[in-house]
Amino acid sequence: MVGCAGAGSVSSRRIVAAAGVVAALLGCGAPARDAGTATIAPFITVDDFGDTLRLAAPATRVVSLNPNTTELVFALGYGDRLVGRTSWDLYPAAARAVPSVGDGMQPNVEAVLGQRPELVLLYASASNRAAVQQLRAAGVATLTLRTDHVADLARIAPVIAAALGDSTRGALATDTVVAVLDSLRNLPRAIEPRRVFWHIWDAPLMTIGRGSYLSELIDIAGAENVFDDIAAPSPQVSLEEVARRDPYAILAGPNSAATIRAHPGWQAVRAVREGRVFVVDTTLVGRPGVRMGEAARHLRALILGDSAR
Amino acid sequence: MIRIDDLVLRYRAAAEPAVRGVSLEAPEGRITAIVGPNGSGKSTIVRALLGRLAPEAGRITLDGVDFTTLGRRAVASRVAVVPQREEPVFPLAVRDFIALGRYPHAGAFSGRTAADRDAVAAAIHRADVGAFADRRTDELSGGEWQRVRIARALAQGGRALVLDEPTTFLDVAHEMSVFELLDSLARSGQCVLLVSHQLNLVARFADHIVLLHHGVIAAAGTPAEVMRGNILERVYEWPLVVARDPAVGAPFLVPLRGRGTR
Amino acid sequence: MTARTWALLVMLLGVAVVVGLAGGSVPLSPLDVWRALTGNGAGDTASAIVQGLRLPRVVLGAVVGAGLAASGTALQATLRNPLAEPYLLGVSGGAAVGAVLAVVVGVSMPSLVPLAAFAGAALAVLLVLVVARASGAYADPRVLLMAGVVVGAFCNAAIMVALATAPEESVRGALWWMMGSVGDAQWSTVRSVSGYVVAGIALLAWWGRDIDVLALGEDAAASLGLDVERVTRRIYLTASLLAAATVAGAGLIGFVGLIVPAIARALGARTTRETVAASALAGAALVVGADLVARTVVRPAELPLGAVTAIIGVPFFLWRLRGAAR
Repeated sequence: MVGCAGAGSVSSRRIVAAAGVVAALLGCGAPARDAGTATIAPFITVDDFGDTLRLAAPATRVVSLNPNTTELVFALGYGDRLVGRTSWDLYPAAARAVPSVGDGMQPNVEAVLGQRPELVLLYASASNRAAVQQLRAAGVATLTLRTDHVADLARIAPVIAAALGDSTRGALATDTVVAVLDSLRNLPRAIEPRRVFWHIWDAPLMTIGRGSYLSELIDIAGAENVFDDIAAPSPQVSLEEVARRDPYAILAGPNSAATIRAHPGWQAVRAVREGRVFVVDTTLVGRPGVRMGEAARHLRALILGDSAR
Repeated sequence: MIRIDDLVLRYRAAAEPAVRGVSLEAPEGRITAIVGPNGSGKSTIVRALLGRLAPEAGRITLDGVDFTTLGRRAVASRVAVVPQREEPVFPLAVRDFIALGRYPHAGAFSGRTAADRDAVAAAIHRADVGAFADRRTDELSGGEWQRVRIARALAQGGRALVLDEPTTFLDVAHEMSVFELLDSLARSGQCVLLVSHQLNLVARFADHIVLLHHGVIAAAGTPAEVMRGNILERVYEWPLVVARDPAVGAPFLVPLRGRGTR
Repeated sequence: MTARTWALLVMLLGVAVVVGLAGGSVPLSPLDVWRALTGNGAGDTASAIVQGLRLPRVVLGAVVGAGLAASGTALQATLRNPLAEPYLLGVSGGAAVGAVLAVVVGVSMPSLVPLAAFAGAALAVLLVLVVARASGAYADPRVLLMAGVVVGAFCNAAIMVALATAPEESVRGALWWMMGSVGDAQWSTVRSVSGYVVAGIALLAWWGRDIDVLALGEDAAASLGLDVERVTRRIYLTASLLAAATVAGAGLIGFVGLIVPAIARALGARTTRETVAASALAGAALVVGADLVARTVVRPAELPLGAVTAIIGVPFFLWRLRGAAR
């Protein structure tokens, strides 16, 4: 540290003074910087609930209450900063080592606070508004993000990356995904794309509408969701209606596929009679996360029967 | 005939028995009346006759046969009890209602036998309800309803008839007509045992009166013997006088104004 | 009830069945239905829809409707209360507890949920008897009804606890079950439910005369030689288990046991036997019709059957109340 005062002859005094000024500019008063980062704190943004997030420094203790953001935080290389996840967050495998704080919807605020987080990532659903208010009242920063659509991934990745220190990591994590999806979109589409029914749940029988990212993925994969006329993400439908719409194939998880093949009522659907009940890899398609590219490829192979580049 | 010997009846978990050693006889061809203030045990005796309260001590016999040795249906085909109040939740045709009186004689699916039809017709005739036999039970007046219930009891075919307060809620004309019906039934050989508040009518029509007080018999005998001012005043705990009605020649009761209201 | 009215009821049921088989997301003509049933080349999809989807639904709906209506008839007469219905006496609460627990614990849906529902209902019914007995006069209808309310409240609490602690998808499935549906009808379930219902209705008809006498009042029934306590208990158990079988097969379908007996009586049925038979026919037609409504009005979705019967039941109920007040 160079002192700010000098002594000696006039010319040397000038040099020392100039050196002092330079040193002062370098040493005292310039904003602190983290070595080797490209971000300037404080980080300010407005999240999907309209709340303002203000971080003086990148968060080092993060709780993620959404399987999508948990996976994303690991993909961004910040997995070591996670101090809490929901009981449903099982990807990647390293996430299981992070302590669980319970449910992601209407979360247990006490359990979250017990992990002393600096930042909490929540899913933007109305049932989480109370938790967001309680966390903010307790002085914890929150970031509430919508993670429903394919495009959300590329949108939120840089925001989370910036909150954790380096916004450029966001693009790094998502560029390949976006590239794969775009390449699939640009593949030649059949005039009459194959129509599929995606079985989500029995009793009540539920499927995906065009409000779901799965419907988007089907579209990207070159097929068509037989219920994409319904706007809701997961509408309830009747089996007879499925039979009426006569999809080319049924997509279902492994247990559901077995039930569908065995259930006599499902024989009313031609796709079941002709043996086209395809099993989807639910671990792959379960979230609109960093594996969406692979998920779309998997769907394309399943439905169209050829591998796509 | 119905005979009660030293009957003791106690309600579940009651400290004192409601009926403490009552004996009486109700022969055929006569009207026997049990009277007394509220809580004296009159209705309790009816419950015992219905089989809904088992005697703690004593016996009830029917023509010499102990009640408890007979099955319920056997009892019902010998004694018909007309309970104090009855309001069917769903209306029935009067004829069907009376025909239910044949229940003690019927199997689950046996249709109406000739004996059943005869018994119902006879009951309708004796109770004099032919005029409204084709109406519904919810269309009857109070007096008509009472007679229809008596008709059903008669259809049971027994020779004994027990009635619990048969004329409550009835006006003068209907009261009289019910008592006259009971009188004619008794004259034709029926054993009629009656529980009633209506001391004056009982005095005119009953052949034998049993006065209960706190579960024991305070007096028993003909109306002239039981309807005495001192006895009744003691039992009913209210000032009254008993006079003789010149028009009908029966004793009648005149309650006086209460002591505290001078 | 006149022969003409009986004929009308039978015809009504027949029409309901035909319309139930013909109507739906894929409208078919009665001729198509006939061809599909007799296997005369109506097209694979139509055949599969009629035989695999609609026929079990219609049969289950008819059986459930008949059972609930017959049960309601018997209970209203036995408890001497025109507002009595099987769900008041622990059946719905107990069945829901059994089914919700089965769904939440995650057992494979089709086979075990009906069994669990029936077991829950049976336990609740017995519990009502135990509670009533503990308070003294357990053939007294008022005591039975109060015990039913108590057991029902307890069951509701248990359901709330189960739902609050269950994973999200289970809650959805449990609620769907509780709202009633004949949509998951599988022939094995239909067969067992039908067996119970037929046996139950037959027993209630067999005891019809006893019920007639019981409906007169406790004292009147006793004076006619009926063992009031024993018969009340017997009818109560039979009617409740009959209702429990329907709940096991189709979830909670309310109001049928309450309003159909009133309809049967309004048509002229007087004795218990007449009313049980007429209620069974009318109840079957009602539920088959309600199911058709449930699966066509908000296509492609399906309304819960219990909601449709309630929507029909409430105005009917108000109309009856107006009549009663006059």
